[in-house]
Amino acid sequence: MTASKQRPVIPFPSKDATAGSAADGRADAAEAASLVSRSQAGDVDAFETIYRQHAARIYTLACRMAGSPEDGEDLLQEIFLQAYRKLGSFKGDSSLGTWLYRLALNHCLDYVRSRRAKMSKLTETLDAETSYQPVARRDTPIAKLDLERALDRLPDGCREAFVLHDVEGFDHKEVGRLLGIAEGTSKSQVFKARAKLRALLR
Amino acid sequence: MHPNETAIHDYVDDALGAAERAEIDRHLASCDDCRALVADLREIRRVAGSLDLREPPVRAWGRIERAIRLENEHSAARESHLSGLLRSKAMWTWMAAAAVLVLAVAAGLRYTPRQAGQVTTGSAATTPGTAAGAGGNGDAQAVEAELRQAAEHYENAIKGLEQIANAEQGELDPRTAATLQKNLSVIDQAITESRAALRAEPTSAPAQQSLIDSFKTKMALLQDTVALINEMRKGNEAGAARIVSGLKPKG
Repeated sequence: MTASKQRPVIPFPSKDATAGSAADGRADAAEAASLVSRSQAGDVDAFETIYRQHAARIYTLACRMAGSPEDGEDLLQEIFLQAYRKLGSFKGDSSLGTWLYRLALNHCLDYVRSRRAKMSKLTETLDAETSYQPVARRDTPIAKLDLERALDRLPDGCREAFVLHDVEGFDHKEVGRLLGIAEGTSKSQVFKARAKLRALLR
Repeated sequence: MHPNETAIHDYVDDALGAAERAEIDRHLASCDDCRALVADLREIRRVAGSLDLREPPVRAWGRIERAIRLENEHSAARESHLSGLLRSKAMWTWMAAAAVLVLAVAAGLRYTPRQAGQVTTGSAATTPGTAAGAGGNGDAQAVEAELRQAAEHYENAIKGLEQIANAEQGELDPRTAATLQKNLSVIDQAITESRAALRAEPTSAPAQQSLIDSFKTKMALLQDTVALINEMRKGNEAGAARIVSGLKPKG
């Protein structure tokens, strides 16, 4: 089995995954190359600079994919240890932020798959497509913090699909490829997540 | 009749053709509930796409840094060994064991508690917590076996760390050692209580989670202890102070 069959290539999300990251704005390619080179030579302070620039982005992704800050912290530590060991494979073809994001997403996906295999909780289909029963309208806008909290309460399966699609900006085809599910299943999981979030946020 | 769920979500995602979109538009013009639903779904999408970044806990870098430094030292010691410049056997053995144990956590000592019965067969999930019944006993046994296995992993790792920490505690000043001991006592008490709760209700997910969390806390504290001893041995006062500042008294 080839490596590409074992793990799908991480595409760019429709919304640039590293957009909004102050890290990429601050650290140009030359600075990133220098930090990587110094880190490889054993300069832990240089690697700490890389960590400081990108940790929030990676930690946020890990928390949302795992559904808990505790697991997100474990994943963050594993991802940066893995990044430290794999710095030699960073060739500068993409920005350091993109390289780290891909590595982090792969690690999070491995975690999600492993947990899914254990829990077997992913439901592959939505309930029968009956007429939709709307619930009462919200009176106030949704606060970001409330949505963050509600995200952690979503069931495994629909949470990851929602995070990848609605938060990270991947399209359903990409989400399906990343999670190893059909495109239609990605849609149904995202829809299920939104319906649950709506109920949680009422 | 309301449109089906998929059509509403596709409408929100701008994924409908012109005809289907016009049909939903016509329905929305006369249905307050569906207009409210569409508004809510759009709001969820909007907020989800503009969420703020979360800042990792301050301690996270310290743990990564210590694991990296131990790994580097492990590599350096190995190279030193190969070139004939071997450190003392005791130091090498201690360092290697510490590195392996610290990295064992990053390698993924993880256990996700679940209740018996939380197994999906096809699309029909059984109800959580239904340990009784034909399949229930099997599930309950499987959950207990998984937890037992996870607990053994933690206990082995903790035992190794404890051996190192106990053998080298003379390196620590008495006040720090006392704080560490007090914290360990509090965590051990939590482990004892979690075990008691599990004995009373073996398939309780909260009790399982509590036990695993207590193991994790104990491992983290022992890792900090080992890292602290390491910094003291190296004479790195700044590194030791950083670790001590993170050792808050518990209980």
